[in-house]
Amino acid sequence: MSDAATGVRSLADRIADHMLDASVLERVVIALVATALALLIGAVIVAASGYDAVEFVSSLVYGAVGNASNLAFMLRQSSMLILTGVAVAVAFRAGVFNIGVQGQFVVGGFAATLGILFAAPLLPNSSISAVPLMALAALLALAAGGAYGALPGMMKVYAGANEVITTIMLNFIASGVVYFLLDAYLRPEGAAAPNTEQFPDYVGLPGLVFESPSFSILGLGVALLTVAVVYLVMDRTGFGYDLVTSGYQEPAAKYSGVDPKRMIVRTMTISGMIAGLAGALFAIMILGYYSDPNTFPTFGFDAIAVSLLAANNPLGVIPAGLLFGGLDAGGQYIGFTLDVPSELVDGVIGLIVLFVAAPELFRAAGRYTSLGGDRE
Amino acid sequence: MTDTTAPAVQLTDITKRFGDVVANDSVDLTLDRGSIHAVVGENGAGKTTLMNVLYGLYEPNEGTIAVDGEPRSFDSPRDAIAAGIGMIHQHFQLVDNMTVLQNVVLGHEPSSRGLVDEQAARRRITEICDTYGFSVDEHLDTPIEELGLGIQQHVEIVKSLYRGADTLILDEPTAVLTPQEVEGLFDVMEALTADGRSLIFITHKLDEAMHAADDITVLRDGSAVGTVDAAETSQNELARMMVGREVLFDVDSAEGTPGEVALTVDGVTVRDERGLEQARDVSLSVREGEILGIAGVEGNGQQELIEAITGMRTPERGTVSLQGRDITELSRRRRIEDGISYVPGDRLEEGLVQDYTLVRNALLSNQTMDAFSDGLFLDWQRIGDHADEIIDEYDVRPRNPEATAKSLSGGNQQKFIVGRELERDPSVLVAAHPTRGVDIGSIEFIHQRFQDMREAGVAILLVSSKLDEVQKLSDRTAVMYEGSVVDTVDPDDVTEEELGLLMAGRARDGTERAASGVEGDA
Repeated sequence: MSDAATGVRSLADRIADHMLDASVLERVVIALVATALALLIGAVIVAASGYDAVEFVSSLVYGAVGNASNLAFMLRQSSMLILTGVAVAVAFRAGVFNIGVQGQFVVGGFAATLGILFAAPLLPNSSISAVPLMALAALLALAAGGAYGALPGMMKVYAGANEVITTIMLNFIASGVVYFLLDAYLRPEGAAAPNTEQFPDYVGLPGLVFESPSFSILGLGVALLTVAVVYLVMDRTGFGYDLVTSGYQEPAAKYSGVDPKRMIVRTMTISGMIAGLAGALFAIMILGYYSDPNTFPTFGFDAIAVSLLAANNPLGVIPAGLLFGGLDAGGQYIGFTLDVPSELVDGVIGLIVLFVAAPELFRAAGRYTSLGGDRE
Repeated sequence: MTDTTAPAVQLTDITKRFGDVVANDSVDLTLDRGSIHAVVGENGAGKTTLMNVLYGLYEPNEGTIAVDGEPRSFDSPRDAIAAGIGMIHQHFQLVDNMTVLQNVVLGHEPSSRGLVDEQAARRRITEICDTYGFSVDEHLDTPIEELGLGIQQHVEIVKSLYRGADTLILDEPTAVLTPQEVEGLFDVMEALTADGRSLIFITHKLDEAMHAADDITVLRDGSAVGTVDAAETSQNELARMMVGREVLFDVDSAEGTPGEVALTVDGVTVRDERGLEQARDVSLSVREGEILGIAGVEGNGQQELIEAITGMRTPERGTVSLQGRDITELSRRRRIEDGISYVPGDRLEEGLVQDYTLVRNALLSNQTMDAFSDGLFLDWQRIGDHADEIIDEYDVRPRNPEATAKSLSGGNQQKFIVGRELERDPSVLVAAHPTRGVDIGSIEFIHQRFQDMREAGVAILLVSSKLDEVQKLSDRTAVMYEGSVVDTVDPDDVTEEELGLLMAGRARDGTERAASGVEGDA
């Protein structure tokens, strides 16, 4: 090898070393700088396309955090993305590719809706029924989401069906069947849209900090609490060790006493349960009734990007979810305030995600190449 | 210009190192034109590495490759293929849902006017099949996944011939075949050499090497021990060359005082993933304070047998009992909890999670041990202390519990696994090749530990392909051949030559014998 090549190599080694060793704080700083850089480049592109770049960037930021109501909207989107993101992360960590979070989310929300609509008449029509009713809804959502996740898990284990394909198909089935049931049985007499009737007034999460009809800080609390529980289970329990080990190296997991088949079904169940809980939160906090799932935001799909950006680390899902929630809120704000094509908005948002993800990709590449030397 | 008198392939002084590990140590190999050259050796002896060097997958650190007398250097399999070398991998490189025709021409599609000329491809393939008696051309439009493994292998061979291979490397081609298919393969190999092509045949089955090959080169620990004429050698000579001798310090081999029967295996038959019977009607028992050695050339059912004992695999028939209790139906985890420790032969895939630190690896197979959790949560502090203990006691280097498993050398990985499995205080220890790849000093240490465990009353089942290890440690030695225990002997009453004969499926006096399930109890 020539001297020049050796020099390049050792420089690459040093950079790789540095990237691999970056602390959590450094990673956050790297992500912020990457966002700023991407915004700068995005602004140039916007300007080159003949729009006002300064207005674009300021609207993007204003739409996310500019006032209390915008912030509430961003946090609402982030809460959903964090919950569904952690659902994806659980499965990915165990080496199971649950692409069906959207479907489990839809089914979970539907189960919560059924619980509320059918149990409400049996309880006193006052706010003391709120907590038991929502608890029931949450339990039903966990059960339904879990079952709908377990199904492709079992299909994989007992029939060898690839979970990527089955979960994608089950997404369509969930939306289709729930739409049919809504349309055929749950639509109130004479209503035009396939929506259920409104939940009782007392069902919902109190706004507390934000005066928003569709966001409560409690919703964010549910998401963060779920992340905390998942993190604790993964990092501090034998079951979590089994799960993560299965994802890293299945033969070693089997050697250590993990039943790989049972682990796949369990993982899918847990992932589906979290997705189902997200569905309940969506029905109770955001909608206040249930409607055609085909019109829902695709939280379950965006969650895949959130989880990947977080390197499938449950704690990493929080900043990743906040970033995606903020971009979503800012992007939507631009959509109805500025005359900028939505493709351009999506393009700039994609650029930001790419820039933030790049250091993580670099880190991953570093692990799989010899760059950076032995990691001891 | 091709020199027709030159050897088809000549490897000279090939050395291939991975970090500190020498996988091939100045190996010479000469493949004569039109001949079959078998390369035999244990797993890990360096056979596959050597072939990957020849096939352009690895670049050798030292040494030269000459094809037809011309020195060559291969940067990739593409170069090797261009030089007329084809390789049939143990795991077929076929696309399951594509047809035979598509697989054969993949990457080398004949074309006319930019389109794939299917008719030309069919003609070429039919020609090849007619020449060598393949029936592959009958299945040209069948997807690979619908064909048996024997036919799939033929497809692989046809694919190589289609690409113009003069020299074929067959990597353990018989491992996946039934005995009838093996016969078919040998016929094909004969037809190929009759046509002037040259074959390298990798195997660890000695009878196959002797049956099919003209020359046999034995590899051990990365070095070529020697090359012999297949017609003039014997199975036990080969077995001796393969397992070899290692200079070991003589450990005081105190006779154990066996107690109650701890582990019983009764009439156990085990099939592998492909449904082939690997262990057949095996019965044996191990007492407390006794080491039962299982000798045998690798691939004679030992692995499947111990997987049935440790709960990694469900036997087809028979029972496994622990202290008189039937545990055949118990999960692997329950067996660990009930006191069966297992040092697996595959430390890279099974014994350690390569990306985990040693601390995290110290928990592997200990997840449900009370000592490492306080009720709900794992106690990483205590697990870390345990990792430190293993590192200290077993001299694992580097002495850094935060090092990842993959950063350790093979010997140090092995010491860590042995330490972890022994420190659990098992009642039964099953160990497969516990000292493979370990330096001599550590071998002695591990042997000493095994003897301490025996004295402490642990029942030990030791599978090893090193005869001297089995001879030294065992109180009794069971010999496995083709899935059955052919004999159980007292190591003091038997010479290594006699063991070698038994391992080769012969009676101790060298006469032919049929493999039969001999009761393993002394």
